[in-house]
Formats: sequence, structure tokens, C-alpha cells
Amino acid sequence: MSVRLRGTDSAIAIRWIPKYTTLERFLHWVHTFAFIPLALTGFVLFAPWMQPLAQSSAGIYLRALHRVTALLFGGVPIVYALLQPRRMMLNMKEFLTFSKYDLLWLKGAFPYYVLGRHTDMPPQPRFNTGERLTAVVLVIGTIVFGATGLPMWFLKGSMPVGLYQVLVILHDLMFIVTFAMFLIHFYLAVVHPMMWQSLVSMRYGVVSESYARVHHAIWYYGEKRARQMWEQHQAEGKH
Amino acid sequence: MTMDRRSFLKLSGAGLGAVFLDSAAVIPALGAEKRLAMLYDNSKCIGCRACQMACKQWNKLGPVSTDPQHLYESPGDLTPDAWTLIGLAEYKVNDRRNWLFINKGCMHCGNPACVAVCPTSALKKQPNGLVTYDRGLCNGCGYCTQFCPFHVPRLQVSSQFAGVAKSSKCTFCQDRVANNLRPFCIQSCPAGALDWGDRGTMIEQAKSRVEALKAGDFPQANLYGENTLGGLGRLYVLLAPPTAYSLPQDPGFPFAATLWKKVVQPAGEVAFGAVLLGLLAAFFVVRRNVHMEEVE
Repeated sequence: MSVRLRGTDSAIAIRWIPKYTTLERFLHWVHTFAFIPLALTGFVLFAPWMQPLAQSSAGIYLRALHRVTALLFGGVPIVYALLQPRRMMLNMKEFLTFSKYDLLWLKGAFPYYVLGRHTDMPPQPRFNTGERLTAVVLVIGTIVFGATGLPMWFLKGSMPVGLYQVLVILHDLMFIVTFAMFLIHFYLAVVHPMMWQSLVSMRYGVVSESYARVHHAIWYYGEKRARQMWEQHQAEGKH
Repeated sequence: MTMDRRSFLKLSGAGLGAVFLDSAAVIPALGAEKRLAMLYDNSKCIGCRACQMACKQWNKLGPVSTDPQHLYESPGDLTPDAWTLIGLAEYKVNDRRNWLFINKGCMHCGNPACVAVCPTSALKKQPNGLVTYDRGLCNGCGYCTQFCPFHVPRLQVSSQFAGVAKSSKCTFCQDRVANNLRPFCIQSCPAGALDWGDRGTMIEQAKSRVEALKAGDFPQANLYGENTLGGLGRLYVLLAPPTAYSLPQDPGFPFAATLWKKVVQPAGEVAFGAVLLGLLAAFFVVRRNVHMEEVE
């Protein structure tokens, strides 16, 4: 795609690389818009200062909404597994693959993302370390929420109270982890100025070639070449 | 229901007041009064279940199907429509098989777990010792049913799928007590097995009764609830060890409730606050340091 610069005859060509399928983007947004009301309706029972919303009819409606959105939230991975199982397995495999570059990435993440220093980051595959950690937490969260929430929903009164009490605590602990993670994910994807293309990719399914080269070198160049380039770059930097 | 003229006038006044006040005012704020308690004396109980009937009548509770598996207890357990129940246990005392009756219902704990886990304040601990319940505030979460050490509150479920429900339990006839009347079950007891009044007086009364029973045919007689869970509001004079009545020997405040409400949830709020503040600070730092012309 070429973009003509305003007020000039110059044009620049941008090469876009597909990152997500249409279904992945659609399900991502369904997941997002299920998670937000799910978290907020859960938060009403979580925080004492939200008590007026937990009381009376408001509380009854919010608890019902929590259940409906929970089904939507839990249904997303099932739909994904049914419609694009190979793609899902590929992503899952990628989420669970970590290398020495991930430690270096984590080390460099604070000055890079928080302080905004334009330093070099180690090469990353299609999903960087942060994205993969987020995905792993989300997968664990979905399993824990399902395994604790469904018995709390349908088996209250017929399961031992001690077990119910454990489930309530696990449900809340998982909520703390996933909601904190969601806040960070939202900030990096929507607010952070250096990551504007992540939002574009979830809207249009593509990232620019230059973005892929800088942020996902292993995906763009392949693992061998990305590693060579990184090592060469590091060696030059030391001299 | 019989009522003297003074009681009738008091109740009429309260009823008129309730017409002009909102639902929250139906349970009047109970001031710094002395703690009240019910005393149930097993040695006097004849198991007539008048207390059960009185509870249903005053609180307008619906009928409950009986369970043929239970020979005497009817219904077999507390239900959303049976807040008071005469339970039955068989126990050998002095080589004689005895029937032990027990008046079951909310224990009105001094330190109630149900109140600690209630997210709506529908359940409240009042200064006079009552654990009151405001049905209008209840959202049916059912946490009270899962954390009560005595397994007393019951959930009336209208829709399992949508989670529409209301909790229920004995309130010691909170509306009557607020109008200086005794709980209706106590008024109905023909055997004098139920008594009501200042908790200290009830304990003294119970202790002297226990001594008398011990000196007689019941060496295992004991007082249940004096110091349990901050002191129970429903005290029992028992003829046999508590376990013979299926009562927990030494119930404690559920550890899970403390962990959940005092550690996990406050820690979560701190974590969310810290993350939000951190991100806000990071946003201003990044905005100052990032040169957009260098961003890919």
C-alpha cells in the first residue's frame, strides 16, 4: 500500500504483514467486551465501597449479568477451537515457547516501555514475551474461572462448604491477577505511544513491515538470521 | 395469637410508622443496649413444636413438605420456610435411651461469619446482639449459607441459572424485639423451655440449671454457647455432650472467611490501585521521553 504525503508529490510504500485472522480479531473483541462487564460485575461483590451496587435489585441484575458474560467469556476459546483448531494449537505452542531472549526482554522491558528509552530489545517471535505471558495468564485464568465459577454457580448447597470456600478464594485470587494484567494490557495496547501498531493489528489484522522488523525480528527474519543479527549487533555495540 | 392491650397499641404504632417510612426503617436502629439472648432448656422441652408453628405464623412462612425419612423432625432440616425447627436425637443417659430435643435456628453469634461475608449488609450485627436480616437488601449471593459454622441460613432459589435467590434465617423476630416484645416462639412455648432476656441473666440462669441437672440424673448436663464465637445469642442447656445433638463441639470463625475478607480482597484492591497509579506515572514518563519520529 502506498501513502501520498499531504502537500507533496512524494509517496511512501508501506508493506503490511498479516498477523491475525478475521476470526481471531472478532473473538478478541468479543472476549474484551465480555471481560470488562464480567470484571466490573465481579468487582461489585469484591470491593466494600461498591456495596450500594451489590444491594437489592441492582445486585440481583449484576449477578445475572456476571453469569451471562461469563458464558460469553468461556465460549470464545471453545468457538476458536472449533472453527480454527490448527491455528489455535499453533498459537498455544507459540505462547508456551520461551527462550533466553525472554529473560533479556524482561530485563529491558522497564527502560523500554516504562521509561520510553529507545534501546535495542532482543529479537522476538510473532508474540513478544509480554504478550505470551499475558496469553498464558489468560489461558490459566479461563480454566480457573471455569473450574471455580461453574461449581459455585450450579453446585452451591450440594458441595461441601469447605470446598466452596476454597473455590471463592481461588476465584478472587485469579480475578486479582487477570484484572491487573488486563489493566497493563490495555495500557500497552491502547495508550502507550510506542505500541500503536498493536491496536492497528487487532483492528485490521496487519502490522507494518518496519514494525515487524523492529518488534518481532524472529517472526520477520526467521530465528537463525534474527539471532545472527542480534549477536552481531551486540558485538558491534561492545566495541 | 393472643396479645395484651399494651402490646397491641405498641405494634399498631410501629405498623403506622412503617407505612410512612422507607423499608430501611422497618428495622429500627438499635442503640447501645445490653445484649439479649434466648435460652433453650432441653430438660424442659416436650418437643411439641409450638415454637416452630409460632415462627411460621409470625414470619408468614409457607408450608414445607415433610420427609418420611425423618421420624419426628418435620421438616427434616431448616429450610427457607422453616427458620426454627425442633430436632431430635437419641442418646443413652444413665443406660437409658433418651430423646434429646433441640431448638434449631440462627445462633446469633457474637462474631458472626455470615455478617463478615455478606457483601450487601443485608445481614447486620446489632448492638443488642441480634443478627438482623433485611430481605430487601439481599441479592441472593448465598455466601452466608456457605460460611455459617452452624449451617443455618438457607437460600430460596427462584432461578438457578440467573442466580435469583434470597437468603433466610431466624431473626429472633427482629421487628418484635425492636418493639420491646419477645420473639414469638418464646411466647408460644407451653413448657417454659424457652426464655428471653439480658444475656448475662440468661447465662446465670442457665448455669444454675446446669448445676441442678448435674446434681440430679444428668451428670453430663452443660451450657452451650457462653463463649463460642464471641458468645452465642441462642444459649442451650443440654443434657448430653453437644455432639449428641449434632452441634459442633468447638466451632470457630471460619479461617477462609478471614483469609478472604481480611487478606485477599484488601490485597486485591491495593494491587489494582498500585497498578493504576504505576501506569499513570509511566504514561507521563513515557510521554516525556518518547520521540514519536523514532517510533516504528
